[in-house]
Amino acid sequence: MAGLTRITSRLAQMLFVLWAVATILFFIFRLAPGTPLAAYIEPTFTEEQQQALLQRFGLDKPLYVQYGIYLRNLVRGDLGDSFTLNDSVASVIGDVFPYTIALTLISLLVAYLIGVLMGAVLAWKRGTWLEGWSIPLVLTTRAAPEFWLGMLLMALLSFNLGWFPAGGAVSAGAEFSSEWARFFSLDFLKHLFLPALTLAIYLHGLPLLLMRSNMLEVMQEDFVTMARMKGLSSWTIMVRHAARNALLPVATAFALGIGYSIGGNVVIETVFSWPGLGRMLVRAVAANDYPLAQGAFLVIAAVMILMNFVADLLYSSLDPRVSSGHAKH
Amino acid sequence: MRKLVILIAALALTAAAWAQGDAVRTLTLLTRPQTVAPDEFQAAQLVAQQWRQLGLDVEVRVTPWEQLADLVWFNRADWDMTMWRMVGRAERSDPDELIFNLYHSSTADKGYNFIGYINPEYDALVEAQRTETDPVARQKLIFQAQEILSRDQPEAFLVYPLSTYAFRSDIWDAATVVDQNGIGIKNFWTYTGITPLTEQKDLVLNFPDVVQAINPFYISGAVDSWITELIWDRLLRIGPDGLPQPWAAESFSWVDETTIDVTLRSGMKWHDGLPVTAEDVVFSFRAPAGDEVPMYKPFVTNIDDIEILDENTVRFHLAEPSAAFLTSTLAKVNLVPLHIWGPILDDLANKPDENAEDIQEEVPIGSGPFKFSSWRRTQEVVLEANPDHFAAPKIDRWILRIVPNTEASLGMLRSGEINFLSDYKGDPQVLLQTAESNPIKVVSSADIGFNYIAFNNRRPPFDDVAFRRALSLAIDRDFIAKAAYKGYGVPANSPISVALNYWNDPRVDELGSGLELAKSILEEAGYTVDRGKLHYPEGVVESLGN
Repeated sequence: MAGLTRITSRLAQMLFVLWAVATILFFIFRLAPGTPLAAYIEPTFTEEQQQALLQRFGLDKPLYVQYGIYLRNLVRGDLGDSFTLNDSVASVIGDVFPYTIALTLISLLVAYLIGVLMGAVLAWKRGTWLEGWSIPLVLTTRAAPEFWLGMLLMALLSFNLGWFPAGGAVSAGAEFSSEWARFFSLDFLKHLFLPALTLAIYLHGLPLLLMRSNMLEVMQEDFVTMARMKGLSSWTIMVRHAARNALLPVATAFALGIGYSIGGNVVIETVFSWPGLGRMLVRAVAANDYPLAQGAFLVIAAVMILMNFVADLLYSSLDPRVSSGHAKH
Repeated sequence: MRKLVILIAALALTAAAWAQGDAVRTLTLLTRPQTVAPDEFQAAQLVAQQWRQLGLDVEVRVTPWEQLADLVWFNRADWDMTMWRMVGRAERSDPDELIFNLYHSSTADKGYNFIGYINPEYDALVEAQRTETDPVARQKLIFQAQEILSRDQPEAFLVYPLSTYAFRSDIWDAATVVDQNGIGIKNFWTYTGITPLTEQKDLVLNFPDVVQAINPFYISGAVDSWITELIWDRLLRIGPDGLPQPWAAESFSWVDETTIDVTLRSGMKWHDGLPVTAEDVVFSFRAPAGDEVPMYKPFVTNIDDIEILDENTVRFHLAEPSAAFLTSTLAKVNLVPLHIWGPILDDLANKPDENAEDIQEEVPIGSGPFKFSSWRRTQEVVLEANPDHFAAPKIDRWILRIVPNTEASLGMLRSGEINFLSDYKGDPQVLLQTAESNPIKVVSSADIGFNYIAFNNRRPPFDDVAFRRALSLAIDRDFIAKAAYKGYGVPANSPISVALNYWNDPRVDELGSGLELAKSILEEAGYTVDRGKLHYPEGVVESLGN
């Protein structure tokens, strides 16, 4: 039963954080300078139109009334209607969310796969020439600006060699029998390749270096020396013993990485015209589209909080030495 | 004796101090960031440099568009100068919208005359041109208005930008691409007339921002209007020459100054198969007069009544004669189906917090040359040709791709991912270079819009005509056009673009310029320069100190 109370208290904590985020978001936008009406300024923009717009956006009511309406709707799962796009916030976010998930998950999976393998290899090959030029190379990919990397790959693989398209999620006017068919089509994968590759190159540095440093630590441990004395092969030691232990922090980094990447891909999305959440968010903030910006931020916060939780769970379940509540690592 | 000398010296010094007013404070010039509007930013820097040579302390303040618009529009007393621009639209082919709303005193408080220019002489002129239906007499009035603006310089016009677009000349027949005055090749006539040369029958174009709405009652964004123009018909359309011509109306004739008969083309159908009737036309013009269609309301307020004479003819009764009626109303209001929008608007009447702008049809129905096919807001809009239309397009589909990356759009044109570059904000030189070694045709043309520096006429020293004139004449517009706009701008001195050659007054272009000229104007008006700083005329204090 201790486990159950732990989970419920965690859930309560998460809800509290979500509420705090929602409240901060609400006030930040309304107290910051700027107004959503700026986008509507036209030579024929009359005072009646301005008033009508304010009414439509609910901005003519006092702040605390607006907040009350906002919370009440939030509890019912209603994120409101976008000011600039005449659609509900939930619908707009729902349209772009799958594309962000697809890009984030694929990129992270590839980045972590490559990162983990290479990290392990580099740890094993410590002191060799391979390590000598790999580490600087990895650091370069991590330091290089994403858009530069993206434009480079676009110029090379799309414009020069013509292997991949340069933008969008599917070809112009392409039709599919269903959303699933769309996401699993070859067309979609071809369009996903370049942005995912760019993101993967950029992201693999973390798991690689993390894995490598963990491996180096683990390789100092007694049980590895023991295994060597037992005469086990390098491969067995590396995979069955060292890597498993070194993977624990990497697993949590992966969970956190998802949370972090979910809203942060705006650069890649702009470079490759990828229809994701990041670009939508930046646009909403710039246009003072309060409901859309709040909704998008809230979704990102929810994912981050969830992934934090998952990371905690993962860690405490993978490592018997750790139990939440007494975490001391 | 010595006391006398000291007294005289003291008097002389006091006199010297009195002979000049206070030093002019630091003046701020607002501009959008360099990454978003490099030409505007550059122009601001260059102009500020020129003004500093007059003894002014000018600070260029970079502000993102939303904050800038908020400050300029909602805090009219709190800014000095700002860069600003008017964007070209087909309906602005008639000068009325700009020449009235930007400078008439009635819009100074809350409307588009945010510079606060109040001139009764000007007011009278632009009110008169509104109701003057004889084009020659009207031209005279509009020329006079431009001359007053040139004399008063309430804002310093900079350039009419040249917009650059391109298309694949191996895919599209260049002879069928239409360059519309002030709009460029990305216009309605091109889309409906362009003819393919190969099996590629889809026109794929680009735009950097998302489509906000596809709604005939909502002017929601520049690119949205490209789509509404294709899905819905209008009685008249602005032709490639910038003048209104019959479209859904077969013909029209003025019965008298305030009455016009319009004959509808027969055989037109909505995309759902039902016929377009005179009732639909009446509804389309009556609906905006209510409370549910705020953006179109200003364009129909002059209509007193609409009569149906027979099943194909409709008679408009206007409250006042209006020179711009054809362009600003008949060529602007979309024809919408009564059977779809009637019930929607009735329903909205019961919802005070919503209006027609909140409605988004799942499958928008119009009667235009293109039918709605599909729409993914952040990715693309697909329209298919309407073969039953009287001006059926020669292409299969019109596909708009959302491409926020300008450099990528150029590469896509080259690789064929798009085949019509309908938005390009990058370096025109790069585009031209690419066109040299690829089957790409580039077309640049002057926009109906214009870029300018707005002076806040409410705040001194901008309330002094001489000061404004001096600042404006200190600007070397040829230099700005070359340096900031890379040659892709025509020097301007009027809100009416050279693209509208009938209405643009060529005399106002003979604006002298130069620092010496500016300095002499300031001197004549009593300004002095003391130790490099410009001072107000004698007795004037700086009331808005920093």
